[in-house]
Amino acid sequence: MLANTFTFYVAGLVAVAATALAITGRNAVHALLYFNVSLLATALVFFTFGAPFIAALEVIIYAGAILVLFLFVMMMLNLGSQASEREREWVRPRVWIGPGILAAILLAQLAFALAHGAGQGAGQASIAPKQIALALFGPYVVGVELASMLLLAGLIGAFHLGRREAPASKSLEKGDA
Amino acid sequence: MSSADWIAISPLIAVAAAAVVVMMLAAFWRRHAIVAAASMIGLAVALFCVLPARSAAPRMVTGLLAIDEFGLFYVGLLLKGSLAVAAVSYGYLRARGRDAEEYYALLLTATLGCVTLAVSAHFVSFFLGLEILSVSLYALIAYTRERARSIEAGIKYLVLAAGSAAFLLFGMALLYAEYGAMGFAPLAKALKASGGANVYMLAGMALILVGAGFKLAAAPFHLWTPDVYEGAPAPATAFVAGVSKVAMAALLLRFLTQLGATDSRPILIALSALAVASMFAGNLLALLQRNVKRILAYSSIAHIGYLLVAFIAAGPMGAEAATFYLAAYMITTLIAFGVVAALSPRDRDADAMEDYQGLFWRRPWMGGAFVAALLSLAGIPLTAGFIGKYFVVASGIGSALWALVLILALNSAIGLFYYLRSVVAVYARPGEEAKAADRAPGFSLAGGVALAVLGFSLILLGVYPAPLLRLIQTAIASL
Repeated sequence: MLANTFTFYVAGLVAVAATALAITGRNAVHALLYFNVSLLATALVFFTFGAPFIAALEVIIYAGAILVLFLFVMMMLNLGSQASEREREWVRPRVWIGPGILAAILLAQLAFALAHGAGQGAGQASIAPKQIALALFGPYVVGVELASMLLLAGLIGAFHLGRREAPASKSLEKGDA
Repeated sequence: MSSADWIAISPLIAVAAAAVVVMMLAAFWRRHAIVAAASMIGLAVALFCVLPARSAAPRMVTGLLAIDEFGLFYVGLLLKGSLAVAAVSYGYLRARGRDAEEYYALLLTATLGCVTLAVSAHFVSFFLGLEILSVSLYALIAYTRERARSIEAGIKYLVLAAGSAAFLLFGMALLYAEYGAMGFAPLAKALKASGGANVYMLAGMALILVGAGFKLAAAPFHLWTPDVYEGAPAPATAFVAGVSKVAMAALLLRFLTQLGATDSRPILIALSALAVASMFAGNLLALLQRNVKRILAYSSIAHIGYLLVAFIAAGPMGAEAATFYLAAYMITTLIAFGVVAALSPRDRDADAMEDYQGLFWRRPWMGGAFVAALLSLAGIPLTAGFIGKYFVVASGIGSALWALVLILALNSAIGLFYYLRSVVAVYARPGEEAKAADRAPGFSLAGGVALAVLGFSLILLGVYPAPLLRLIQTAIASL
């Protein structure tokens, strides 16, 4: 129990610190690294709450898939003459040492928590994926459908706002700001 | 889910299906008229589905959605509002001339968010409905993306709406942490069992009121309103002002009533502070504006203040007054922004006062509709706005809220000034250049019919409100 409380507070502090550094960072790649650590810390908080499945999803989907995609896109967009110089800038220890330390704290905590048999939940039992599935497609099935419509709305909006202007109509729109 | 459940939520399913159909139509057959017609038919079908849904009511569908007379009344109202917005949008987007099709899919998803809010009785559906609405609105507000103002308005709304959603979510989490329930009815039961308000309940309610107050644009959470109203394309503004606020108010009415929150003194004080701040901020700042869309934005802030007086009055009388007020407000706002949309040329919105100079002499019907809307906003007799304000004042006096009623009366007087100033402009003799520039490029037959129906309802509710009142009474009785 104590191990759990300890893990929760330290992971929470790491999450707050990493988020603060992410939103104040001037270098986008730097900020994204901190943001990634913040998501990992959130995953650890979920883990101490007895939600290992959500913690795993947080790591796989947010930290793993979405943010790494972000990083890749950002690195690829910057291809150009100064790209190699900028890339050398990115691999300097100054850039990754901060997020690295925070991530190391999280790793140590995870090892500590596992060694002390934590993750059984702060007061609650651990929730298995099967229970989540039963809840989602039982009482909350309307919620799942609504979430799908939410994604549809986001998709259509992103499609419209992000669409490349057709060259013909662009010349017509020159008058606009 | 049983078959009766499916019938009960058929209006929601119809709107969602219409959104998907319109998206597919836009993907394979980009014809503006056909896509617009399909979305209007979809909304009409959803509206028709309210009738069988009423026969299945009252019914809780999976604990998330409460299909009762109250919810279905608002679903009907919201669907009619969306239908009017879709009709008005057609001419506006045709004048703009390109990429019009996705607009209707977004309008339908936004409508789905609204109707979900109107029937939700659970934090999950509350939050999801709100997010569907917000995400659709980001794109609708920034829809005319060749205009910098529109993009600016969209980003402003995105940042502030996301912030307010965080407040809302935190409030819900606090209530859930303390009472272990997310449905409104179980939450009310747990609240009663725990013996009234404690600090979790008050903090949670305060945060939820911040989130709701943002959507309603109640002062001091109104900062986005003028910029978003000005930057968004006029039909999208009509939706934000007329339809989305009605949905949020319906949800808040259900939430506060079911939780018995209006018995709690701190919450009443918070609501009163919001009401007074909204009335004064809206009316005083509107006096300083020369831009028609900004005037209407500040006026809408003031109207939310009037509406909150009915919320505070509580009881069936207050809820009835609030519901009638919302219906009148929606009709009026849709007319006002519908006229703005119809007059808007291709490259900008008709938001300068000069665009309305002598409108009545150039286009008597449209000028007449605009004047009727302004008079209704001011609360002049023979319009729906007057009856709405009358009921709000009556409910306030019934609950002995003298200070609030006096402030309301004072603010109505302030409001009269800027409404009448706009009316004067509409009746002024048009200048030569205004005559030469006399066109209504955003006008379409569909929009004209919608404006005519709205204008007719505005007058009808002003002189013969009894049928709507009876409907509202049965709706409130089911709450």
